[in-house]
Amino acid sequence: MNRKNNDLSAWVNNYTSELYSWALHKVSNDETAADLVQDTFLAAAEKFDSFKGDSSPKTWLYSILNHKIIDYYRKKVNQPVQRENQSFSLFFSDEGDWQESRKPKSWHGQEDEQHLLDDHEFQEVLKKCLDALPGKWGVCVKLKYLTEKSGDEICQELDITPSNYWQIIHRAKLQLRDCVEKNWFN
Amino acid sequence: MKRIGLIDIDMKNKIMHFLFLSCLKATELIEKKLHFKLTIKEKIQLELHKMMCDACSMYEDQSEIIEEGIKKHLHGTPSENGETEKLKGQIKIKLQEHHH
Repeated sequence: MNRKNNDLSAWVNNYTSELYSWALHKVSNDETAADLVQDTFLAAAEKFDSFKGDSSPKTWLYSILNHKIIDYYRKKVNQPVQRENQSFSLFFSDEGDWQESRKPKSWHGQEDEQHLLDDHEFQEVLKKCLDALPGKWGVCVKLKYLTEKSGDEICQELDITPSNYWQIIHRAKLQLRDCVEKNWFN
Repeated sequence: MKRIGLIDIDMKNKIMHFLFLSCLKATELIEKKLHFKLTIKEKIQLELHKMMCDACSMYEDQSEIIEEGIKKHLHGTPSENGETEKLKGQIKIKLQEHHH
């Protein structure tokens, strides 16, 4: 018991700050990030005996935290996903043509993809646009990249059909692209 | 002459949508392609559409850049954050409560 307390307390001292910035980076909300880190240590206390020391404590804590982050997104998306047909009308006419104001324009520098991706300000704009996505769209997009699962697996997890899923992604991507273009290139 | 020109454009659009998808449908397939496999028919329709539509071709390139950007953002290392002393104290208290 004593060793457990000492270890845990040392881990809190050593890793809280790292784990917190990691969580903050993933969920973009400081209270949520703090809660997730706290839950991580509580789970670690509970599962302490099962920690064999095969991996470093840090790796172990990160794996607990990453599960907590994914759970957090899963819970957020748990409400049934509805198709919002009319929301496409922002981008397309009834015939399915681009609305003039939302039509993709050429991105200068687009030829040099890597250059753009390395640009810190571009990343900042993208992050802001990502955070601005309405709830479930953002959740679907983030869950996809956090878990690195295939489309089919995500659908099973979220309990939605594939066509429903890529329509959500499609809608989210239209908004994201438009947001990036308007905030970065203009 | 002008009038005939307009009708022609209208007809062209209708035929194009029927054979080679609307832009709405084309961008949907561009997104679908990133997560699922397209059928042969969808692949051909999309390629033909892009050949005739600059906006959707640009959309595809930009969508891929955004895709990479999201991956990079979510997998990148976050910046160090101070101000966690309070959180440490709070967690220790919770851990104590947890034990008793």
